[in-house]
This record gives sequence, C-alpha cells and structure tokens, in this order.
Amino acid sequence: MKTVNFIPLCLASFLLAGCMVVKEYNKVAINDEDMQLSAVDCERFETNFQIYREAAAGANGGKTGGGCGCN
Amino acid sequence: MGEKQEEAVGAIKLQLVGIAFMACWLLHGQSQDSLSRYKKKVLETVEVDMLMSYYEQEGRHAAVTGGLGNEELTDYSPTIVVRVPINEDAILTADVGISAYTSASSSNGNPFNRSGASYANTNSESPRGSAPARPPQGSPWYASTGASAKDVLTTLNLTYRQASDERNAYWGINLGGSTEWDYESLSIGGSYAKLWNEKNTEFTASAQLFIDRWKPVIPTELHEYELFNETFLYNENSYFSGVSILDEQGNSVASYLPSNFSSYSFTHRNSYAVSLGISQIITPKLQGAFFTDLVVQQGLLSNPLQRVYFQDRPNFFVGNYQTLGTYSDPSNRDLFHLADDVERLPSKRVKLPIGGRLNYYINENLVLRSYLRHYQDDWGIRSTTLQIEGPYRFDLSWKMTPIYRYYSQTASSHFAPYDQHLSSAAFYTSDYDLSGFNAQQWGLSLSYRAVLSQISLFDFGLKSAQIRAQNYSRSDGLKAFIVSTAFRFVLD
Repeated sequence: MKTVNFIPLCLASFLLAGCMVVKEYNKVAINDEDMQLSAVDCERFETNFQIYREAAAGANGGKTGGGCGCN
Repeated sequence: MGEKQEEAVGAIKLQLVGIAFMACWLLHGQSQDSLSRYKKKVLETVEVDMLMSYYEQEGRHAAVTGGLGNEELTDYSPTIVVRVPINEDAILTADVGISAYTSASSSNGNPFNRSGASYANTNSESPRGSAPARPPQGSPWYASTGASAKDVLTTLNLTYRQASDERNAYWGINLGGSTEWDYESLSIGGSYAKLWNEKNTEFTASAQLFIDRWKPVIPTELHEYELFNETFLYNENSYFSGVSILDEQGNSVASYLPSNFSSYSFTHRNSYAVSLGISQIITPKLQGAFFTDLVVQQGLLSNPLQRVYFQDRPNFFVGNYQTLGTYSDPSNRDLFHLADDVERLPSKRVKLPIGGRLNYYINENLVLRSYLRHYQDDWGIRSTTLQIEGPYRFDLSWKMTPIYRYYSQTASSHFAPYDQHLSSAAFYTSDYDLSGFNAQQWGLSLSYRAVLSQISLFDFGLKSAQIRAQNYSRSDGLKAFIVSTAFRFVLD
C-alpha cells in the first residue's frame, strides 16, 4: 500500500513541474532517442513472455493483456 | 537651385525607404505564407522493421501437470512491421508476426503418446479401444508427442494514425487478430494524444477491446471421462479400455472418477482496457510519464489444459508403481498421476496497474532510463516492477545498454501447489505464474545507428540495428533466456 500512497505524491510533483516550460531550442537532450518515454523495439518480445510468466501486465504504454491465453 | 536639388534628393530617399519598407513587408508576408504552407511529414518515407526473438525456459512447476513437472519451452518469433506514410499527416502500420513454439508441459495434455516417456522402449501406440501391448507410460518430467507439443501463433495488427496540422494532436485506430491451435482473438481499439504547454506536456488516452475464444483442449483422462462418463475406464471405445489404473498401494482399481470435472458452458474471453497517460518535460534533461490502465476481463479466464489434484481425494496413476516414491523427481519417466480436475478460476477479473517512467540525460554519452509499476487485481495479486537501463554511447553509431529488472508478486488467493487443493473449493489453480514469487532479469543490448546509410537491401537502406539478450530467473526455480534483434530499413 505504501507504493499506492506514494504515487499521488509523485503525480502531484510531476504536474507541478509543468509550470516550467522548456523551449524548443532547449530540447536537444530531451529529443535524444534514448530519452523517449516508450519501450524500445526489441522490448516487445520481453513484454510478451512476461505477460505469460507473470500475473501483472500493463501501465507501460503498451500491451495490457488480452488477445492471448496468458495471464 | 541647390535647395530644389536637396528637396528632390530627400524625396527620393523617402521613396527609397518606403519602397524598402514595402519590400520587407511583402517579403515577410511571403515567408510567413510559405511557413504556414510547409508541414513536416510525420513520416518521411516507408520504414520496415525486421524483428526476431528466440526464447527458452526451464523449470519444475508445469501447470499442465498440476504444478509439478518439466516446463521446458522454446519459442521462435520472426516479425515484420511496415510503416507507410499515407500523406503528410498520416501513417499506416502493418505488424505481422508468427510465434513458433515447442513445449514439454503442453505436450503432456496427453502424456501417453508414443515417444519420449510414453511407451518406453517401444514405438507402438495402441489405437483407441484396443488393449495396448504394453501399459501406457507417461511422466510429468518428459515431453510427450501430443498435438499440443508444438504450435504456431500467427498475429496481424493494422494501425492508422493521423496527426493534426500543428502536430499537437494525434488520433488512431487499430484492428488486430491472432490464431493458434486452441485460441483465437480479434481486437479493435482507438487512441488520442494531445500536446500543449509548448509540447512540454502530453496526455494520451486509449481504449482496446479483445474478443477472444478458446477452443478448449483438455487433458486426455478428462476428455475420455467427458466422452464416456462413468464407463470411461472400461468402455471399449475409450482410450483407457484395458489400461491398468493404480491406486497409491499399487493395486489395479476401477474407482478413479474425476467427478469434479464438467464440460465448459462457455469458451469466450473478452477483455476491455482503458489506458490513460500523461508525460511531462521537467527540465531540459529530465522527463517522465505516468500510465494507468483499467482492464476488465470476462469469460473463460482459466486454461482448460491445466490439471489440478486434490489432497482430499485418493490418487490414481498409470504406469510403473515402483516409481511412486520418486514421482516428484525428474528421474521419474514411467508414472503419471491422473487429474482430479482442470483449473477453475472466476469468470471476471479486474486489473489496475499504475506505472511511471523517468528518464535523465546525464551527458551526450549516457542516459538513465527507469520504470516503476504497481499492480493489483481482484484475485489477490499485488506486484511491483522496477526496471533500470543505462544506454552508453561510444560514438555516433554504437551504443551499449546494460539492463536490470526486478519483479515481485503475491500469490493469487486461488493458488495452491501440487496436490494441495480441496475439492470443495469453488476456484483452484496450481499454475505457478499465479503463485507468489520474485524474479530478476538482467542483460545487455548492443545498438548500431547508420549515420549515413551504407548497407542496403533492395531499395531499402539500413537505418538502425539492435541485439538484446536477457536472462530471467524466478525464485520458484524457473529460468529463461531471450535474445531478440531488430533491424530498421528505410526506403532510399
């Protein structure tokens, strides 16, 4: 439950950060391909086997479960 | 005369300034027009991703044989993803893949087939209804050659994504389907994304519907019971006609009756998922995102091939009674425990995962990527996932990424190990994927980015390549290894 209580705090801090604006000309680091907030191409296969071998799935901007005889 | 000349020069100067001003104004207007007309394409040219993965695992808790047995499995998954720009604003993506696997545990849906542990030292298999020349032998530790020993899962997904003129809003739809020998699925979904705050903040929302259907394949002993009811041990058309069923004392008996088993009244499985996400640039070197999904599943949520044994029911076996003392040891290759039932799970499940990513750009060589997720559902499972990656760039083309992932989960309230369930329970499973465990995953990725594409395949130039290898170790003894590759080509 500690994790669950921690999440709203993180979310609030996170949204407060939105008060600051990083200009386009200052996004060189942000636009680096490794800074993207999505899984890399190869990771889809790892996510796929984890969906079978673990009960949890989702909340990664990708597959949530369903579409297979998995957990 | 001199005064007139000065007035004339002054007038000319004013005219020239006026003309220059008008020219600047017109040119400015023209450049603004051309800027408003110019739109960067969301995808410049056709891209093709060629992906492949090889996965293998081993373990001692096969769910098909009631939580005890060989979990060896290999899977080979080639996939092709093609992205085509439809116009300046839209992309169509086709994702086609197959997953070809062999599985020791799945093969033991019928453990008495002819090779491996079955019919030891013979190549004969008795046809249905005729007494076998030798008694059938099976084992949860050896692969049989049942129809479920290997299969191919085929998937196809089509996605259309459209961007707004200002590139600050995106929407998309997707259609998909997959089929394998005992399962088929159709899916449809939609997504929307909106950026604001000078594209520092992005909100995403998506919904997905999966309409799935089992083609139930059940363990052999239960299949025969379903066909012939109480006569299944001696009906001449039954697989077990003439086969000696042994009790725990080694006596040949006719009292084995898996009466908890009943045929499935429905085989559908529908999943409804709503996903929300918000991402934020926090500083010029730090950005993060939160994701959450609400997933509701209804229908047949258990796997019809997975056996369950009850501790309050007598045990019955087929094979060599002398092996009973070492049944749970991998050296057993000639004794098989007949099922009391298949796993039974509720027909509804609600899942709620909440996750976040935080990426920090340390310098031009090193980035730190992190991911944290909390998950809970109404089957009593809670889990935590943490993943950290550190892509390190050697030069413009080469990059190495160490990866570490930690995962833990509590057991489902419906889980118990081999032969520990009570027959009076409404729900039961011995699938260790629903047990309590923790797992660690670690590995390395090597990436190449073609700065000036030199390698070509037909009219496509190589844009990037990646190989990623991971070890996975679960606290219940399951070990796995996966290696995957990705090559991206762009149309020259």
